[in-house]
Amino acid sequence: MADAVVVVTLLLVAGSATTAVVVRDPVRQALVLAVLGVVLAVLFTAVQAPDVALSQLAVGGALTPLLLLLAVRKVKRRKGRER
Amino acid sequence: MNGWLVAATVVLGGGVGATLWGVATGPLRRRVVAQNLSTALACPGLLLLAQGYDRPAYVDLALVLALLGPVGTLVFARLLTDELADDPPRARGVTWAAAGLGAAVVVALCAAVGPSRAMAKLLLVGALLIGGNVVASRALSGGIAGVRGG
Repeated sequence: MADAVVVVTLLLVAGSATTAVVVRDPVRQALVLAVLGVVLAVLFTAVQAPDVALSQLAVGGALTPLLLLLAVRKVKRRKGRER
Repeated sequence: MNGWLVAATVVLGGGVGATLWGVATGPLRRRVVAQNLSTALACPGLLLLAQGYDRPAYVDLALVLALLGPVGTLVFARLLTDELADDPPRARGVTWAAAGLGAAVVVALCAAVGPSRAMAKLLLVGALLIGGNVVASRALSGGIAGVRGG
């Protein structure tokens, strides 16, 4: 019964990771990835790995979406200039 | 399995599960609101987990999430300005509902730990959580000119 938290967070991770694969638009994918990062951090906490969860929060919650969105922006600008 | 862990499971399963559904479907304005809410709901979940495992050090995780969650949302608000400008998200109700849940969790935990340094830390996390999410929600709906400007 004490594993209910782990099971629930594992299901959330599986759901969000599957969604991140299924969604095709990069901008929406960045949103799903941000949620996946937070859910993964909660999973790491539930399995007693708070140090991993700390770095996962910083990387998954803010840094990965920022990098993705900046890349999307740059690609869009380059396309606009070529036209 | 104690009551705190049950509460954490309910908050994570129900709250974060619902935001996962919101971020997976619907128009872009609904997805950014759901992303903001996912951090606003995971933070009380982490606080409840810290109390449930009886590890006060885990409160640091909630503190970091309360700081970085709104930062992540502000990244989206800043870089998706064009997409959101013609169809701004309106999410006052759910934002205040999530803030109320966070406040309820912080008050319950404060009552559990009693007056001490841990209680001051919990109150700091609660203030950061609610303030950050209200600011991020306002930035998403275009209430802050500086964010919209770029």
